[in-house]
Amino acid sequence: MRDPRYAKLAGVLVNYSVAVKKGDLVEIAGGAVAEPLLSEIYREVLRVGGHPFLRVSLPGMAETFYRTAKQHQLKYISPVAKFETDHVDKFISIWGGENTKAMAGVDPKKQATRSKATSGLFMRFMEREAAGELLWVGTQFPCNASAQDAEMSLEDYENFVLEACMLNKKDPIAAWKRVHNKQEKICKQLNERKKIRVVAEGTDLTMNVEGRKWINCDGGANMPDGEIFTGPIEDSVEGTVSFSFPGFYSGKEAEGIRLTFKKGKVVKATASKNEDFLNAMLDSDEGVRRVGEFAIGTNYSIQKFTKNTLFDEKIGGTFHMALGASLPESGGVNQSGVHWDIVNDMRDGGKIYADGKIIYKDGKFTI
Amino acid sequence: MTDPRYKKLAKVLVEYCLDVQKNDLVLVRAGLAASPLVGEVYREILEAGGHPTTRVALPGTTELFYGNAKKHQLEFVSPIAECEVESVDKLLAIRATENTKALTNVEPEKQKAVAQAQAPLRQKYQDRVAAKELEWCVTQFPCNASAQDAEMSLEEYEDFVLRACLVHKKDPVAAWKGIRRKQAKYCRYLNDVKKLRIVKSGTDITMKVAGRKWINSDGRHNMPSGEIFTGPIENSVEGKIAFTFPACYGGREVHDVVLTFKNGRVVKATASKGQDFLHAMLDTDKGAKFVGEIAVGTNYAVEKFTKNTLFDEKIGGTIHMAVGSSYPESGGLNKSGIHWDMVADMRDGGKIYADGKIIYKDGQFKLG
Repeated sequence: MRDPRYAKLAGVLVNYSVAVKKGDLVEIAGGAVAEPLLSEIYREVLRVGGHPFLRVSLPGMAETFYRTAKQHQLKYISPVAKFETDHVDKFISIWGGENTKAMAGVDPKKQATRSKATSGLFMRFMEREAAGELLWVGTQFPCNASAQDAEMSLEDYENFVLEACMLNKKDPIAAWKRVHNKQEKICKQLNERKKIRVVAEGTDLTMNVEGRKWINCDGGANMPDGEIFTGPIEDSVEGTVSFSFPGFYSGKEAEGIRLTFKKGKVVKATASKNEDFLNAMLDSDEGVRRVGEFAIGTNYSIQKFTKNTLFDEKIGGTFHMALGASLPESGGVNQSGVHWDIVNDMRDGGKIYADGKIIYKDGKFTI
Repeated sequence: MTDPRYKKLAKVLVEYCLDVQKNDLVLVRAGLAASPLVGEVYREILEAGGHPTTRVALPGTTELFYGNAKKHQLEFVSPIAECEVESVDKLLAIRATENTKALTNVEPEKQKAVAQAQAPLRQKYQDRVAAKELEWCVTQFPCNASAQDAEMSLEEYEDFVLRACLVHKKDPVAAWKGIRRKQAKYCRYLNDVKKLRIVKSGTDITMKVAGRKWINSDGRHNMPSGEIFTGPIENSVEGKIAFTFPACYGGREVHDVVLTFKNGRVVKATASKGQDFLHAMLDTDKGAKFVGEIAVGTNYAVEKFTKNTLFDEKIGGTIHMAVGSSYPESGGLNKSGIHWDMVADMRDGGKIYADGKIIYKDGQFKLG
């Protein structure tokens, strides 16, 4: 028998996160390892009257692509992928694979070429999302590869993932609605503020957020969720940030990342591990040196760093910043084929000031 | 490590069957169980300079669909599927499943509704094939479910499938080219024939084929292949045919099918098992009661009936007939949402006459 929690998670994703309606064209994309959850989502979409469409990727295919593809293939965009981006009403992404480091040996230049080629699709997707034509949610299937990164057994990791999604609650949808209400109040206050200053060990960073919108991440686009974010004014970021946690992108990892900004642009980037990868990513296009997102994680049932951005950026008591594309709903206008979230712990003395007034201390809002 | 024979089969599929060229958009449709072959095919397509895209079906989703879909969902044609049919250059379907009988209890009415809804898409696909805008090939991955139907162990079945594909030969592509040449001779002869008569125990059926084209099925569309076929003149089929082997469609089996034709149309259909399903499928649409294809199987490496049409219709020494849509390349004009091949053994005394002259006996062509 299947773990009944997957049917419950499918219910939250389909009915709460993307609220599938009769007649919706729903793409469900995930790795073969996530089969139990993919099937439950497929069933739930049918049950509520939608038209589910599965896009299942097989283990090893992405590596084969990068190992084998020539330039014309790296740069190719399939008309079918374009069509999907233009027509799907709801999109549910399930992450999870056999090996989170399968891409570690891939030439970063090839990845950059690919990111550049797909940036048009990525932007179109975000435009449709911002216009409310497309609802998207991403979630993680608890697989062994991710459990291994999290340094947990599969069973412990399943519990970690499913509790972060609040499936341990009797009515997870009601619990997510409470998160929504609580965060809504904080966003309202921050929407009135102009300047943010973040101070932590090795970090003193200021940015202007005037006129930008703070977005309430309440389980609509990510499951689990629990963060609020905005896009700072693109040329306003000044100072230095040191990330306490490693930065991950496409299966690669840079540690001890330290970035210095001038007029919104990264002018110095160092890392204690994989600095080459960091710099190759920063060179992939014009927009990647600017900040597309500044955010604060609020999911206090996630305490542990598990080397997985979906969870790490939500850790209650952290902030994160994304290099590259802004999320248009925040009012951010930075464009890039990359959106790379990197997380910093604030639980040990971190402070955030808004227009000179302290609003956050030691990992908690004080407003 | 993946069985190296899959790499060899992938090469046959990509180089010989689909002839993938630089910049071809190649859609690979497969069941999850076929992952080892999909991976090799994906790599071969990339190496040939093409753009592979995959659509992998998960076990159980078709049953979930029939179990949960309401009318508007059964009748839905996905615009994404439409886009695929309109834009891909090459299509490879790799069959593989966990359970070949998973659809046995689906109401035939629902299957009929889906077949009807999908008919225009199928038509679009066939038009592009006929216009040579789209190349296609279908193959079978040797999985346990199919091995079980074939009453073989997985290892025996792998050998059966791969031998049928001539993958045990040193140069399978050269071997398939040899078959192409041999069959081309039969086709040339039959293209000048007007009337066919097929006779064996329980069967005496005639049909006109004048002006229709015999197609050489040389492995490019089916892997394995080994058959020649045409589409008879739609209203010319007369008589009775008894199919030796169970007729399988959409995961169902119908036993001892006997069809009687008048003016090309099925007027009587009986079966010892699955007769209701047979009748429901014949009622799908107008074209489902007409013959879309008549064919002779020539792959003598396939000897055993394995309850899998891809192989059964190729058995050296059998004929098969399909009710439903014809292949436009044969000149056939019949349109339908179904295409159901049914196979009859000819090795035990079957005869084929062409314009009165015997050309085939006991499972072998008697042409020079």
